[in-house]
Parts: sequence; C-alpha cells; structure tokens
Amino acid sequence: MEQKSQQAHKPDIPPIKVGIVGLPNSGKTQLFNNLTGTYNVVANALLTTIEHKVANCEINGHPCEITDTPGIYELYTQSFEEASTRDYLFSKKPDVIIMCMDSNRIKQSLNLTLDLLELGIPIIIALNAIDETCRRGIVLDTRKMFRFLRVPVFECIALSGLGTDELKDAILQARGVKWEFQYGPLIEKGLAQIVQMLPTDLPLKRKVAILLLLNDPYISEFITKKKYDSDNIDIHQIQDCVTSTQQNFQGNLSRVINNRRSQWVDDVYDEIVLQHKITPHEYEKTIARWCRKPLSGIPILFFIVYLVYLAVVNVANVIAEWMDVHLWVPIQSVINGWVPAGFFNDFLIGDYGILSLGLANAFITVLPILSVFFLIYNTLEDIGYIPNLCVLTRRFLDKIGLSGESVMPLVLGFGCKTMATLTTKSLQSKRERYIAIYLIAFAIPCAAQMGLNISILGRMGLLALVIAFSVLIGVEILAGLLLNLILPQEDKGIFLQELPPIRFPTVKAVLVKTWYRLIWFLEEALPVFIYASVILFVLDKTGLLMASRLFLSPVIEGFLGLPIEMVDALILCMARHEAGAGLIIKFINEGLLNMTQCIVAVTLTTMFIPCFANIMAMVKELGTYRAIAMSLMINASSFLIAGTLNWSLILLL
Amino acid sequence: MNIKSEKEEYLEKLWTMMEDKEDSLQILSANMNRNDHEKIIQELQMDDLVQTEGNSIKLSSTGEKKARKIIRAHRLAEKLIFDALGGDYEKGACEFEHMVNTELIDSICILLGHPQECPHGRKIPQGDCCKNAVKTVECAVMPMTDMEIDQSFRVAYINGQKDNVRLNKISTLQIRPGSLVKMEQKYPSIVIQCEGADIALDDNIAADIYVWKEANNIRESGGEQSKHDKKSRFEFMRINRGR
Repeated sequence: MEQKSQQAHKPDIPPIKVGIVGLPNSGKTQLFNNLTGTYNVVANALLTTIEHKVANCEINGHPCEITDTPGIYELYTQSFEEASTRDYLFSKKPDVIIMCMDSNRIKQSLNLTLDLLELGIPIIIALNAIDETCRRGIVLDTRKMFRFLRVPVFECIALSGLGTDELKDAILQARGVKWEFQYGPLIEKGLAQIVQMLPTDLPLKRKVAILLLLNDPYISEFITKKKYDSDNIDIHQIQDCVTSTQQNFQGNLSRVINNRRSQWVDDVYDEIVLQHKITPHEYEKTIARWCRKPLSGIPILFFIVYLVYLAVVNVANVIAEWMDVHLWVPIQSVINGWVPAGFFNDFLIGDYGILSLGLANAFITVLPILSVFFLIYNTLEDIGYIPNLCVLTRRFLDKIGLSGESVMPLVLGFGCKTMATLTTKSLQSKRERYIAIYLIAFAIPCAAQMGLNISILGRMGLLALVIAFSVLIGVEILAGLLLNLILPQEDKGIFLQELPPIRFPTVKAVLVKTWYRLIWFLEEALPVFIYASVILFVLDKTGLLMASRLFLSPVIEGFLGLPIEMVDALILCMARHEAGAGLIIKFINEGLLNMTQCIVAVTLTTMFIPCFANIMAMVKELGTYRAIAMSLMINASSFLIAGTLNWSLILLL
Repeated sequence: MNIKSEKEEYLEKLWTMMEDKEDSLQILSANMNRNDHEKIIQELQMDDLVQTEGNSIKLSSTGEKKARKIIRAHRLAEKLIFDALGGDYEKGACEFEHMVNTELIDSICILLGHPQECPHGRKIPQGDCCKNAVKTVECAVMPMTDMEIDQSFRVAYINGQKDNVRLNKISTLQIRPGSLVKMEQKYPSIVIQCEGADIALDDNIAADIYVWKEANNIRESGGEQSKHDKKSRFEFMRINRGR
C-alpha cells in the first residue's frame, strides 16, 4: 500500500510525522514534492494520487516523515478509498497535519478543516492557489482566519513553490489546540455516553463517537478490527446506545449535526471572505464550456486528436530518423568493425540482439514517440481537459451500461490503465465495476500505447488511423452492450462528479512531468526490453522460435493475414507493449507490413493482453480467478476480432 | 391543549403507524403517553375515525382522509419552517397544522414547488394542487432542471432524504440548502458551479434539488454572489444561523 522512498535520516531523533490532507485536486502532491524534494506525478485532475506516499526528509535539520494522502471531502466516509485516508489519520496519528486548502473552494475546505480540528492534532493550513483566487476577485483575510481557527494559516502557491519555507518553519513549531465543537445539549449527552463505552485506549474517541452517530459504515469495523482493549467492550452495546441517542433525538440527527457544521462553515466564510462586486471575466470558464458542449466539444476533441497525430507522425518520426542516422548507424558500424559476424555479433546487433532489439528499440524507436506524445498529453492533463470529457461522453456511455460514476475511471484509462483499474474501487455497483474493469483492460489504449499506435498508423496515412480507431471504439461499444445484456441488472450508481477547473499550464511543470515520465518509462521498461530481447535471442538460437512460428502460422498468416515475424512482436508484447510496438515499427521500415496488416496489427496489440501491472490491478480488484478468466477472454476475443477485421478489410479494400 | 388538537395528534400518530405498518394499541398508548388516553380513543371511535379490533387499531376511511390533511399540513409546515426559514422544525410544526386551512396549505405547497418529503424524509401526502401540478408565475421554488443557463439560484431543499449515500455525496460537494448554484451547462450533462467548484451531475439528481428563484438572477459572469445581494433578499433564510 505504501511506497517508501528512503533517504538518510538521523536514527536518534524520532522523525516528526507529517500528514498532508485535503480535498481532491487541491495540490497536496505538489506540496509534498515541494517539502520533500522528490517528484510524484501532479495533474490538474481528481484521483491523481490513489495511494499513500511516504518520504523521509530533513526540515531545517530535523528529520521528518511526510505522508501524502488521497483527497477526501470529509472524515465521514462512504467508500473504501476514503476510509484509507481516515485510517491513516486515526491509527498512524501524525504529529502534524498540513491541511492543503484550495482557496477557490473555501467552504468545502472549511468543512474538512472542522473535521480535522476536532481530532485535536496540531494543524497547519496551507492556502493553496491563492493567486487564482485573487484573480477571481476574492480576497481572503488570513489574519481573521487565524483568529477564528486558532491555527497557523499560510498563503502559498504550490506550483511555484511560494510559501514552502514558511510552511517548513511552521511544521517544527506546530502545537495542538484544544478545540471542541459543540453540537447542542442533547447530542452532547449522547456523545458523552458513547465515549464512555468506547475502549479506553482508542484514539480520538470523540470523533469516533460522532462518526458512530452519523452511521458511518466503516467506523464500527475500525473499532473492532484493532485490538483496543476489546475484551470489555461490546460493539452491540455501543450500537444500541447510538440507536437510542438517535431515537431520543426527534428528527434527523445526521441532518442536524451536518447543519450545525455548515452553519459554522458559513459563519467563518462570511467573516474571512471579501468578495469584490465585479467578478472578472474568466476565459478559462468559457474554454471549459466549449470543451463540454457537443457542438463545439466534438470538433475540439477531433482537432486535438489530429494535432497529436501530426506531432507524433511528423515531429517524432523526424527525431527518430535523425537519431537512427546519427547515433545507431555509427554504433552499428563500430561494432561490426570490432566483432566479426557470428554468434556474438548476433547477440549484440543481430535481429534479436541485446543492443538492436533491446537498447535501440527503446531509445531510438520508442523514446522519441513517447517524448512527443507525453509532452502533449501532460499539457492536456495540466489544462484539466481530460476529466472534463466525461460530460461530453456521459450520455453515450450510459447507453452501454455505464452510468455515472464509472465514467471517470474509464476516461482515466486513456492515461494509465493500471491506475484506472484501481480507481474503480470507488464504484458502488459491482456490476458497473466489472464492466468498467473489462472495458479498461480491453480496447482502451493507455497513453504510451496511444502514442505508439498513432505513430504506427500514421506511417500508413490518416485513413489507417481512422479505420483502426473506429474499429477499437466499435469493439468497445459492442463489448459494453454485451456485458450490459449479460450481467444481471442492478441499481445504477449516480453521476455526481466534480470537475477540475481549466487552467493554463506552465511550461516548466509540463517539462518536468514529461522528463520524469520518460525517466520512469526507461527505469521500468528498459530492463524488460533487454530481458525480452535476450529471451527472443535464446528462442531463436535454440530453434524454439521457428517451432512456435510454424505452430502459429495458420493463425497468424492464415487467419490474421500477418507476416510470420509478427510472432516475435506478440511475444515482446506480452513482456511490454511498447517493445512490441517498436518491433512493428521496425517491420514497417523493412516493408514487411502493408496498410491492412498495420491496422490488424494495431487493433490486435491494443486489445491483446493488458500489461502485467494492469493484470495485477485486476487481481487486486476482482480476485485471481476472475482476473485470469477476464484476461483469457480478452485475448481470445482480440484474436477473433482482429481476424474478422482482416477478412473484412480484404473484402472491402 | 384542547381535545380537538389532542385528537388530531392521535390521528397523526396513527398515520405514521400506518406508514410503518403498525397497528398495536400498546404502541400507540406508549407513544402518546397521555393520561386521558382511553377517553380520546373513545372519542375517536364515536366520531367514526378509527376502527378497533382486539388489540389493533387503525384509521377508518374518514379518519384516513382527515389524518391525511393534518399530516400534509404538518410536513409541509416542517418543510417551510426548516428549509425556507432555517428554523428548528419540531417546535413550530406541531402547533401549526391545527391552525391553518387547506387553501393556505396549498399555497405553501405551491410556494415550495410541491415537495415530496418532509425534512425527516417521510412522504408528504399529495394535495389537489400537486395532482394538477399547479405552477404559478410566483412559484419561488423549482427543480434545478428548470434553471436557465447562467442563472444563479440558492438551493432550497433536496428530495430523497432517505437515501443517505446519495444525500451525503451531494452534501459533501456543498450542495445543501442555502448554497448558491449557477447553471453552467444543461446538455449533454448538467454542469453547475457551486461554491467555487464545477460539478457535473445527472438530470435525475438535479430534478431532486430544488432552488429558490432570485430577483436579479441573470448575472454577467462568475457564480459567486456578492455580499450585498446576499444580505438583501435571503437574509430571512439565515435567521438562527448566526452566533
């Protein structure tokens, strides 16, 4: 669950545990990066961080352990993923909480702040994105805020690192404040009773009691799960006490509690927010609207896809060719000069050479394409365009059985399928989760795949691209419709989705993100590229490759109409999609594939085995048996569909 | 409390018992806890408002008709007091329903846009006005789906109090009575701006969120209400909310 990035810290002083908590898309990860000096992907989107991240660092000489948490709206939770942040706060008990407040969403943030204040843990408030708020004509009175909340408040702009030093000083000086929010005599009486019955060593008892009164679905599990002096507590007895308090109170208790809280939020808001009468016109809002309306949104979507096509085909290919001529060809000639033709020459730069198929494939074929594609993709991500697409596609997806909630994971699938699969945790309906996971794994290309697909098809012209992507979209719809029919009906989840605001991205942030994504790609994929080339080399030399080619030739050559060398690409594909795609590009350069074959190859590899990380995510969400069954089903159907496509293309073209 | 109101309180209780599928005489007497329990039951029987059979008691058809009216008044009153005036509902509404007539209740119902549930989440019986879906020009409360693009209204109330998951989801995004929402877009999905955040939602959720129409509702840009406007028209909603 937790990723540790270890750095040296003094063992003698216990580190200060700092937790960064805040609303989704409020800039927690950016703050985390600023404080720790590490880099984690930040994006103008919700659900970017789905796992806790811990980093050890030194702040002014004092060791600190900083944790970044997924965004939450309040401590009362409905879903498992929200409960994970709360579990962190309750059981790890950080020494300091940094409340990352989105200055544009003060009320929502204040609501969460009240929750955190009730915990009694020292809090520092970081008012993030204060520059945007100013531009919108809203002035926040931080001094008044400090007076009301009695905790330090700092204005900061995480994106440019402003306010980080003040925050660091504040972490070392943070002190707890006694803070008790009163809910009125009747509720207080009930709370006192429940607190008495809770185990003595349970932390944050008052907050636990409030959550019990609010019927939080995960809190009783929290009490019983941990071995808190649980011999003399009876969860049923506590539950009875809760029910009797709820019944003693005439009317809807949760509503009254929530009302008292929102009154407080309103009061604080009225005091600290000064609003100018004239709100400036916001171009960002207009752009967001255009992107979400079908009449302008669909052309914009197609224009962006076309732009990506042009960039990937023209720019990336030029870079790749330049690198091939100026880097690879000299290396090749040097090696040919040193190593005579034979086994070792083959091992280094033969068809399945460790340098040619491993290194050159990664650096010269795949890397330029990914750099260009990631540059554009990261820009779109920082603009906040992608999540806004869910408005445009919402009704359409409803027809294939995906209502509401599952739209976001599916849209995220175009970024990283593994992440998207993990976010399906938040879906209430099992049926929708199943459909979403299937569709994500099936015909949605992830960002890297998308870039390479465009590059492969682009070599064959725009028509190939249009055909291949229409087929993929068609397949996806068909799969959705079928699953919708097969799976038993359930209550639909509701569609209620916060959208990130459209922002103008900063060049630096995009470049840094692209740089790190490429570095991570190389770290993760380069070893796989090399292992895979070694395996192919061994298969080739032992003759096993020939045997499997013979064995598979009816399918590959007969049914799919592809050259027999595609077997190599499919094997590479199983290791890493990018490696397979790189080999396909090599085949195209060698003139092995024509347009029809390219289209078939791309649709096949896109649908073929999802990457290993994605399968692991599926195992995590569905269980091993179902995940394997699903992967097998996806593979079988991908061959069937690709074959059918081959024959229909032959008939048509 | 006079005997008329006492009897009406009993009719109310019997109606809620009917909703909960209860008809035991003991439960009734335990709930009402009155000294003159027997007498009131007798009176009700004499007026042919209830039917008793052994240990069970239930409303007769005339009793049901009468109880229906009272319940409707009670729950609408709660709705009015709680959602519109921001008050504590239990105190006022008990007295309220014994005093007002059908016409007044109907006009409250129209004013509130024919709400379906009281703040506890129980169903408000429909009146003639709801069946005919009376909409007057003055109708101050309407579902969010009726808002025009760029209009800014304040949330009056949200139907569906029983569905906690949904309600909680809505309220964590700060869509709650009193918050200001601006319609950004209606098709393909509704997008609203609420307290600085853009939120996309389904039509069926939007249809359950009712909003107050404001006088100067079409604004140039930006969704936030300025301080000045907030004080002028909707101050009454914020009574009891200050310190």
